[in-house]
Amino acid sequence: MSKSLKIFLIITVAVAATAAAAAPLPIQDQIFKARDKVMPAVVHIQPVIKNYNTGELEKQAVVGSGVIFHIDGYVVTNYHVAGKAERILCTLGDKEIVSAEFIGGDPPTDIAVIKLNLDEHKGSIVVADFGNSDSIQVGQYVLAMGSPLSLSRSVSAGVISTRDRYFSPDVRLPTGERTGRYNLWIQTDAAINPGNSGGPLVDLSGRIVGINSRATIFANNLGFAIPINVVREVTEEIIRNGKVERSWIGLHCQALMELEDYFGTQRNTGVLISSIDPGSPADQSYLKAGDIILKVNDQEVSARFVEELPKFYYLISRFKPGEKINLEVLRGSETYTFGVVTKSLGDLQGEDFEAKGWGFSVKGITRQMKVENQLDDTVGVYLIGVKRVGFIEDGGLFRSDVIKAVNKTKITGLSAFTDLYKQLTDEGVEKILLTIKRGGGTRFIVVTVDKDGEEELNE
Amino acid sequence: MNSCNGSVLRANILFVFFILFSLVGATANAQNFDFGKLGSRSRAYMVVIDMQIEVSFGINTSDQEERYLGTIVTEEGLVIFDGTDIASDNMFSSFSGLTVKTTPTKIEISTLDGISYDGELLGYDRFTKVGFIKILAEENEKFSPVKFNKHHEFRTGEWLALFMLMPEFVTPPLAADIGMVSNLVEAPEPFPLTVGFNSMQLASVLFNESLEAVGILGSLMDPSSGSADGGALMGSFGSGMPMLGVITGERIEELIADPPTEGEIERGWLGISLQALTQDIAEFWQLDLAGGIIVNEIIRNSPADKGGLKVGDIIFEVNGQPVEVDREEKIAVFQRMIANFGPDAAIELEVMRLDQGSSDSTKILINLEKAPISPTEAPDFKEEKLELTVRDLVFADYMIYNLDSEDFKGVVVSGLTLGGPASIGGLLIGDVIQRIGPIEIESVDDARKVLGEISTEQPREVIFFIWRRNQTMFVNVKPTWN
Repeated sequence: MSKSLKIFLIITVAVAATAAAAAPLPIQDQIFKARDKVMPAVVHIQPVIKNYNTGELEKQAVVGSGVIFHIDGYVVTNYHVAGKAERILCTLGDKEIVSAEFIGGDPPTDIAVIKLNLDEHKGSIVVADFGNSDSIQVGQYVLAMGSPLSLSRSVSAGVISTRDRYFSPDVRLPTGERTGRYNLWIQTDAAINPGNSGGPLVDLSGRIVGINSRATIFANNLGFAIPINVVREVTEEIIRNGKVERSWIGLHCQALMELEDYFGTQRNTGVLISSIDPGSPADQSYLKAGDIILKVNDQEVSARFVEELPKFYYLISRFKPGEKINLEVLRGSETYTFGVVTKSLGDLQGEDFEAKGWGFSVKGITRQMKVENQLDDTVGVYLIGVKRVGFIEDGGLFRSDVIKAVNKTKITGLSAFTDLYKQLTDEGVEKILLTIKRGGGTRFIVVTVDKDGEEELNE
Repeated sequence: MNSCNGSVLRANILFVFFILFSLVGATANAQNFDFGKLGSRSRAYMVVIDMQIEVSFGINTSDQEERYLGTIVTEEGLVIFDGTDIASDNMFSSFSGLTVKTTPTKIEISTLDGISYDGELLGYDRFTKVGFIKILAEENEKFSPVKFNKHHEFRTGEWLALFMLMPEFVTPPLAADIGMVSNLVEAPEPFPLTVGFNSMQLASVLFNESLEAVGILGSLMDPSSGSADGGALMGSFGSGMPMLGVITGERIEELIADPPTEGEIERGWLGISLQALTQDIAEFWQLDLAGGIIVNEIIRNSPADKGGLKVGDIIFEVNGQPVEVDREEKIAVFQRMIANFGPDAAIELEVMRLDQGSSDSTKILINLEKAPISPTEAPDFKEEKLELTVRDLVFADYMIYNLDSEDFKGVVVSGLTLGGPASIGGLLIGDVIQRIGPIEIESVDDARKVLGEISTEQPREVIFFIWRRNQTMFVNVKPTWN
């Protein structure tokens, strides 16, 4: 046993001994203490969110939770609570209501930061502390705080059920973005219901260990929280830059466990590439599905179990976009090193726009949307909803159609589309001809402009 | 004397008529069929078909027993019947990955005199859904077929009669029914519509009041289905209610003269995805045309591609005949015209090419080919131990998933047994298998060969490399060899 380890052990024992000597508080008192530290910082959030999915802009009042983590009035919540908010009202622990502004959000982790307008608030605010989610233990007591089903200032209690729950990154937020690729989840049996979203999961020392994000419908006591160490990094970056910048090389990986015999690999060696996005940096660098990544630059990597995949994706994502990384891969019995120049992941989904007089809504096409939807390119706008199906001609328009041209004007992107929409609306055109792409085919669709819609628009 | 008797008789008849007239009231031109005569005449060519059909829908397979009324149409024993069940060429099967496949396993044909024969399914017509069965009889045995009047002119209000098949526990098996021609539809195609009949009676022979066979009961084709052409797949969803009417004697005689072989009648194929040139669109492009076909997509290496047709071309004449397709519903007319040319025909298209504003008219010569097969017709292979069925990738798969037929190869998982090794291993219906172990799979033949070798070697696990929802992955299947 090395000397340093011995010292470490002694210190640990010593700490344990002092703790024992001090006689821990009864569990009830610990809960009271944790409650008093965090509850005053818990915020009941009422955003009005913009939804374009029905083909028109619908405003919806929703309810979520959040917690103040910074003396300047920053509140962390879920992206699915505040990400598309038009305006946000917050009820603080003292029952005072203040407005808040959206600072930034991160769909891949489902985290958003809002900032309270503290000049509307008389008195002081309470800030809760972030703990360390790496040191939590299964079975450890935790409290969930927030507004389940809008019932504000609610506390529920339970234990950590597991600390490394993996979800397939195919899970999507209501706004359409895939989420959960870069992190595992804390599972708890502390009751979490809709409305708890964005609220803190707190240990008995009164530190936040996770942000409650998901519950399971048709199940009891299966709640999931984003580990606070993930939240800490994301919130810091949002406050600094308004968003989280990640790099992307276009890899999808798979746990090796059941495939070690097939690939002839040792346990805990390498990360298996299962799929490569067409046109991605990985594609351009001649990586192939079936390659096993042994090292990223000089760091050894492995993913024998699915729970190890987020860590690898995270590692890749933290390089600077544009940076060249060297991947040492095993292909057959040979090892090769490929240099891959990363690109910025960019936005998962584009901005939304309601073409009110035309009866549908669209969004810009991001690189990730192109990859996910097997589109030829990012040119055009992506149809997200049609308001009046009967109103649009034969063949109709469908969600996920891509509008490539309006009349004879090619649509390069969302701003070109919105400009043209405004121009044609001002000119008072009665009909427009859309060129759309659906699957592998093109179609032409005539849309009769709804004058009433325009009038409303011009008001 | 004679004349006197005659006038008395006439008076009696008039009296009887008067009474009938009063009784039936408003229905002035009531039908006047002699069903006794009709029944004895048609007895010779009406048969009852008992069919056992294996239906596989995705992971489920079941056996069904179906009964149809058939009609002998040739002396050699060709029988037509309602082929809707076996023609379940589900256009959405590729979307869901679920293929409906119907395979008749046993066909028994019984005449109304109680003589039974075995039958063999020849196929069905994709447009009319008329099914064709060959009676397996002695070589010199002759049958008495129905003869259709090919020249009957239908009129609205005219009565028609048919015989329909009763449930099995009813004897005798046939019952009469009447209906009326309700409308002479002109578009999307000429079609006498009827009221009074139902879809259980499809393919029954229709008789006019002169007791001539004038056609069979069919339904008006939904323009968005009925063909594996791209336009149909890309087109709108079908309407709900079937509109029943007459498939005329003339049309049936054409089908009988050229019955389907190897599954179905071979039809000409152009290889485009298409759309109607509506008046609205024509105005936008300032075209003075009464309709046409907009070419929206050209399938690589298809006849259209080889002939030099371009995306955006507007077809407005075929062999000098105008193509007046100005509504989506009329696309069927164009599709049928192309189909009916047959797979080896050379046709001349007159197209408008919209190049930088100027509209030029061009002649294009195209050699049609055989239409590509649909998912349900694709060759398949079932591996019994893995409990896995795969089929070839077809044209429709490439269209729907926007895949490149040059680069993208594999076989589609079309069947799995729940709880079987392939299912437990994680394969799903609709997955495209691209490799088995290290071996690339491009066709069902490849899959059959590789899986055959595997079943001899009996390895502990089989690794599939598959494509699913735009991503690839590896799937480990552990067979149970005993």
